[in-house]
Amino acid sequence: MGVPFEALLPYAIMLSMFGITGAGLSKIRHMQNGGKRARHSIDQWDRQMMDRDRRLTGYLRGQTDKVTAPLGFELNNPWRTEKRFF
Amino acid sequence: MSARQPRFNQTVLLDTTPLPDSIPKVPEIGASSAPLLSASFFIGARCGAYNDDYMKCKTEAFGKGEVECMKEGRKVTRCAASVLDDINTNCLEEFRKHWQCLDNNNQQLWHCRRPEQLLNACVFDKLKLEKKIPGAPEDETPVHLRNRQIFSHNVSSFREPE
Repeated sequence: MGVPFEALLPYAIMLSMFGITGAGLSKIRHMQNGGKRARHSIDQWDRQMMDRDRRLTGYLRGQTDKVTAPLGFELNNPWRTEKRFF
Repeated sequence: MSARQPRFNQTVLLDTTPLPDSIPKVPEIGASSAPLLSASFFIGARCGAYNDDYMKCKTEAFGKGEVECMKEGRKVTRCAASVLDDINTNCLEEFRKHWQCLDNNNQQLWHCRRPEQLLNACVFDKLKLEKKIPGAPEDETPVHLRNRQIFSHNVSSFREPE
């Protein structure tokens, strides 16, 4: 008696659907993060450091290991403001 | 009416006036988050005294220490820049591997123990700086020197002897 593979075909189809969508989502997140795994569980410290990375390199996930910052770095930290209406 | 809490999400204001000339100019550190995390224990090993001074100054100023503590802050920046400079000239390859591994792993140190061992060995050889975790209990092996590991992305189950 062989394995009844026709009965297992729907399971194979479902598994491959899950697999393809999971792999596709992972690939999209990979590309969105500049070729690295996405960051998770980010707290305020991590957000502040990622903002500093963006000010240093121009990309949210960009990294450099230079010793001194590029010119203008010490002046490009913005004051966040809101518009008042009166 | 000033009773409403301000919401700071609409515009930004960039103030480009530089600091006055009476304050000595120190270049800011150019390393971003992953290299800084990777070098942080070595910065702590060399610059512990200056960092403690700065933190003491800020704590004692009760929130008003931005201008008063600038002198200690300049010392902190210069010392950290010197550590980064030394690591860049001596151990650049291992340093890059370690912080690239960290960047790929949510900046969690426990995924990247193998490159970290190589970096620690190189830095100890060339710069005599050793990574110590402050506040760790003395009677257990520190976390970065343990042999077995489970659950990480790069499971190093047996550490190779150095």
